[in-house]
Amino acid sequence: MSGQVWVYSESEPVANEVATAAAAVAQGASAEVRMVDIGSVRPATRGSGGRLLLKGPAGHEVSPAVAAEALARAAKDLAPLAVLLGATRDGREVASRLAAKLGIGCMAEVAGLASDGQGMTGERNVFAGKVVAKVRCQFPAVATVKVGAYPKAAAQPGESQEKDVGPVSDQTKTVGREKKPAGAVDLRSAKVIVSAGRGVKKKEDLAILAELATAMRGALGCSRPLSADLGWLPEEHHIGLTGVTVKPDLYLAVGISGQLQHVAGMKDSKVVASINTDKDAPIFQASDYGIVGDLYQVIPALERALAARR
Amino acid sequence: MKIAVCVKHAVDEAELKIGPGGSPLLAGAAGKMSTFDKNAVEEGLRLKAAHQGEVVVFMVGGTESKKTLKEALAMGADRGVLVTADTVAIDALRTATMLAAAMKRSGRFDVVICSEGASDTYTGQVPPMVGELLGIPYVGYARKIEIDGKAAKIERSLEDSVESVEAAVPFATSVVSEINDPRYPTLIQIMQASKKPVEELNGEEIAPAGSRRGVEVLSMSSQPTARKHVMIDGSPDEAAAKLLDALSKEGVLK
Ligand SMILES: Cc1cc2nc3c(=O)[nH]c(=O)nc-3n(C[C@H](O)[C@H](O)[C@H](O)COP(=O)(O)OP(=O)(O)OC[C@H]3O[C@@H](n4cnc5c(N)ncnc54)[C@H](O)[C@@H]3O)c2cc1C
Repeated sequence: MSGQVWVYSESEPVANEVATAAAAVAQGASAEVRMVDIGSVRPATRGSGGRLLLKGPAGHEVSPAVAAEALARAAKDLAPLAVLLGATRDGREVASRLAAKLGIGCMAEVAGLASDGQGMTGERNVFAGKVVAKVRCQFPAVATVKVGAYPKAAAQPGESQEKDVGPVSDQTKTVGREKKPAGAVDLRSAKVIVSAGRGVKKKEDLAILAELATAMRGALGCSRPLSADLGWLPEEHHIGLTGVTVKPDLYLAVGISGQLQHVAGMKDSKVVASINTDKDAPIFQASDYGIVGDLYQVIPALERALAARR
Repeated sequence: MKIAVCVKHAVDEAELKIGPGGSPLLAGAAGKMSTFDKNAVEEGLRLKAAHQGEVVVFMVGGTESKKTLKEALAMGADRGVLVTADTVAIDALRTATMLAAAMKRSGRFDVVICSEGASDTYTGQVPPMVGELLGIPYVGYARKIEIDGKAAKIERSLEDSVESVEAAVPFATSVVSEINDPRYPTLIQIMQASKKPVEELNGEEIAPAGSRRGVEVLSMSSQPTARKHVMIDGSPDEAAAKLLDALSKEGVLK
């Protein structure tokens, strides 16, 4: 039997992205991909190879601790070359704990995965995205795959395998789960993004940016403080290192200083324009067009100019 | 309550210079306390204020990183443990192994607090690895921590949901930035910090690496995206019109 590359993510859409990365590793290592389910089979995970069901834990409550323990027990017996997970918050925890249990390396949030047969390589952002590092880890290895970096794998039939890992207990207990407020945006597919930063004085003022975004047939994004710290917008609006990575045709940064962590999430935009009162704001270094000015004057002016053209 | 807080002396990404070939000039690069580690120290101090006890700061780093350890002590931590190692050459599991070994030597901690990720490398791996290696419950991405006797209730902030998790003391956690607003040390606290005890341990002695290689960095390069840097002037209306003209020409306005 040839070696295996396992794919596991608590999120089914992310698992299908990781499956694409796993196919690249499997090709270089002449290995087979296995989509791993824990407790019960999830039909929505696809993947380019077979499936592996780890039986033992109850399927409804797979916490990071349980997932890591189940994967570790199975890996000790079945010796996969690599286990790939999604670089979500839960995924990072599962991967780290699994690597610690097995005493092997774990590459974090990588894209561009490949294998030379003996190990795998990948690329990741370091120093807030200023630098890209090429990393390598000898097999057996664990990695988390950058979310959004790979297309979702197409469904393909493959062999199914089962492994009983026995009951797995968790030292912690999840007693509640509340959805965060969700936005209606998919920034990753938006052609135009108007993005708000701390230059916006209060939550209500976001309305003028949202209007401009609508007038430009685009979506509203924001810097991290507006969602994570102030809670003015749902977290899926936050762009950057710890948020979403976007590549619109036009990125209009409004009242955003342009710290590296923010730029990391929008630097591949086709055209970047920015509005900021501070002529020395770093955002201008990351922009094609810059206006030094007060957003409370420039945004209404842009809306008037747009309306006049239509 | 014995509280351990892990901090990192991170490369200051804004100050980091890029060499002519595009590779970062890491030798002698400026460093600072990893941004969210301030939230970790703050949470340790907050728990100490509520439950008494001691806050011990653990750090893996070179001698230049003492500055960051001092900063944590100035914020109010009681003492520090510096595990010396070349942090550029080691991976997260190696760092976590040294931190866990240093903690085990200092006795049993009730709470081990890290931040969700370092501002320079942002792998987010060290906190769960430390929890795993200590063999205690781990609950990451905490935005709220409440401890009542031996029972802890933690709010985990995930991408699209918030989970309430119960764990028993001792446990390990990582905090997100929204958990608190870190304090600034006063001048007096900064002066007093140099008198607080700092123990130095050799990483290789307390946790020998053996033949393990882990994750290796093959190369690093910086390829900034080329931008036009056109500054548009005039009144708000003039600037707006000029910007729209430019964007239409680029073909990015539909
Ligand atoms: C590990 C780590 C990860 C991070 N991840 C992210 C991330 O993913 N995304 C992210 O965005 N940040 C992230 N950050 C935070 C980041 O470092 C910055 O703190 C943040 O991006 C700043 O947001 P801002 O530009 O909106 O605010 P500020 O830096 O406060 O900038 C506000 C800007 O508005 C301008 N301004 C003020 N008034 C006006 C006006 N009337 N009109 C026009 N302009 C005005 C000011 O000149 C200033 O430039 C991260 C930080 C760390 C440490």
